[in-house]
Amino acid sequence: MKTPTLNHWLYGIWVALLIMIPADEAYTAEGGVVDTYKNATAPFDENTVDAALSLPIPSVLVTERYQGGRFWVETRKDKMQRFKCRQCHNNKPVKVTRAAEIAHGQIALKHGSESRPLSCYTCHKKDERDFLVTEQGTKIDMDHSYQMCGQCHFRQKKDWVGGAHGKRISYWAGQRVVKNCTGCHDPHSPRFKKRWPVIYSPPLSKSQ
Amino acid sequence: MDPRKNKICKKPEEKDCRQTKPCGRREFLKGAAKAAALGGAAMLTGCGGGMLGSKEELSLRWKEYFKKHYRLMTQEEKEGTVRRLESLAKIQNGVNIQMSSTAPIDGVLFGYAFNVTRCEGYMECVAACVKENNLDRKSNMQYIRIFEMEHGQLTPEVGNAKFYHQVPVEDHFYMGVQCNQCQNAPCVKACPTKATWQEPDGIVVVDYDWCIGCRYCIAACPYYGRRFNWNDPVVPEEEMTKKQHYLGNRMRGRGQMEKCTFCVQRSRAGRLPACVEACPTGARVFGNLLDPDSEIRFVLKNKKVFRWKEDLGTDPKFWYFVD
Ligand code: HEC
Ligand code: HEC
Ligand code: HEC
Ligand code: HEC
Repeated sequence: MKTPTLNHWLYGIWVALLIMIPADEAYTAEGGVVDTYKNATAPFDENTVDAALSLPIPSVLVTERYQGGRFWVETRKDKMQRFKCRQCHNNKPVKVTRAAEIAHGQIALKHGSESRPLSCYTCHKKDERDFLVTEQGTKIDMDHSYQMCGQCHFRQKKDWVGGAHGKRISYWAGQRVVKNCTGCHDPHSPRFKKRWPVIYSPPLSKSQ
Repeated sequence: MDPRKNKICKKPEEKDCRQTKPCGRREFLKGAAKAAALGGAAMLTGCGGGMLGSKEELSLRWKEYFKKHYRLMTQEEKEGTVRRLESLAKIQNGVNIQMSSTAPIDGVLFGYAFNVTRCEGYMECVAACVKENNLDRKSNMQYIRIFEMEHGQLTPEVGNAKFYHQVPVEDHFYMGVQCNQCQNAPCVKACPTKATWQEPDGIVVVDYDWCIGCRYCIAACPYYGRRFNWNDPVVPEEEMTKKQHYLGNRMRGRGQMEKCTFCVQRSRAGRLPACVEACPTGARVFGNLLDPDSEIRFVLKNKKVFRWKEDLGTDPKFWYFVD
């Protein structure tokens, strides 16, 4: 304590108050936390969380299950600037030259190996532009793009389902809603970009 | 913004108001001692008569001063103190806060896992933490440190936590360090006033009003998890997080210790801690260790996990993992 100028009687109160606090036993964990959680096998009852847990954002039910059952994924269609693609991709012939560049010039594909880069139609369904497509030709809703990514990135998809890749949104309890692959990765250039940190850390002094 | 202007006295027309002297618990206590020595009536002139704006405030402060240690309070008494603190925040600083004393949830033990191969060093977590937990802007207090490490380095002690350049840097990885919420916490053992303890949901908390600022816990903590307020924390009102918890992000005072509480004000309401929610890469996984279906359990079961300084026997509930 920096200012040892307390009056004696106050000191007395301190001591009295201290004595009132019972001896502590909570911090002597036996066996350790690893044993504790390994022994916990009953699923958690979410109803014990008082707070109103609601789906935090627009989401759709994922077509697969994770270890805890059903879960949801954030929607994407409402976040895409160019949806619906059908507005333009309606099978009318386009007469403009360099139309693709004008329409989608900002898209620079940097995805796949150097020798075998992906093409637009690896992922987009050519005759139904509002949808994605798998290599088997199955059409996939834009909100379920994880299915499309997952056919090539099997390991990441499995981790994403389980909870080790990607992230849950807002709540740890209640209905599980996760981010879609494209919520983090730009599908056309999926690598995370270099940028400045949003804050700086001052040196940590020993006394802090 | 000068915090103390707010902290001490709102109304500049009050002559008695001491602009420069903050009136924390310690000053109040000194004032109270003097007053007691002089007889009850002199009470009002104790710690700067002016700051005791009204009878109501005096009464609130008096009750606050003589309240019990949080762990000894009944739920009713806890309600009492949070209501008083809300009123005091309103009277003294003109801020409307909502404070809770939400208890731990049965069947919940919080755990955390950090993916060192995912983190890119953007520091979004740090910024979110500062905001959520009302950390002192004057001393730039931060609970989380992100260490930039070269491949092959294994402990953040050799890493760089002061980087400011574009991230990520090739051949480097990033390791977040914050309170490990040890199950066998050395800080708890070091505390001479039992002002810090572990809650049943595993969070190590501080009763700020019981902390005497001796800083033994800092010395005891091997994870650089605890922070000390050398000054009264400064948080501009418009940036203040108003939803607070008694054991979490309520305003601390000078001379008090504070630390990461897994955002107790959020986590006990089923929400993710601010750092987890803010993380843009999904490097941070949080959840209930007692729930076999939780993400954190999935990570512990399926990933290569390790704990920092495990050999110290601190039994952290904070894991690191790689893909
Ligand atoms: C504003 C009109 C417009 C919208 C909306 C639009 N496109 Fe296009 N897109 C074009 C034009 C014009 C072309 C070039 C002519 C063509 O191939 O039909 C084109 C070309 C393409 C191509 C082929 C590019 C190439 O290099 O060969 C793909 C793939 C494509 N669009 C996908 C989409 C998808 C997916 C959406 C919806 C998310 C979409 N577009 C929405 C106008 C549009
Ligand atoms: C790896 C698969 C993949 C490839 C290859 C690909 N796309 Fe996409 N594209 C997607 C996915 C998935 C989305 C939906 C993004 C989202 O969820 O926000 C998308 C979205 C779009 C959009 C709408 C973007 C917006 O925000 O409105 C356009 C336009 C588009 N793609 C055009 C193209 C063009 C042109 C090519 C070829 C040069 C191409 N895509 C190649 C997967 C791909
Ligand atoms: C047709 C197969 C295929 C599909 C579909 C596909 N990818 Fe890829 N992806 C690849 C290949 C090939 C690579 C390069 C792998 C490598 O370099 O080892 C790659 C690389 C990546 C990388 C690493 C990038 C880097 O530079 O490190 C990410 C992230 C990624 N993909 C995300 C996605 C996402 C998100 C989707 C869905 C929108 C998707 N991929 C769909 C084939 C695919
Ligand atoms: C919360 C954000 C987030 C989500 C959601 C996400 N990823 Fe990633 N992913 C990352 C980060 C961060 C990396 C690190 C790689 C980097 O530096 O770009 C990564 C890396 C990858 C890689 C590169 C290989 C690796 O493991 O490092 C692939 C492939 C990939 N992700 C695919 C996916 C797929 C498929 C999905 C959806 C099923 C997905 N990701 C969802 C954040 C995310």
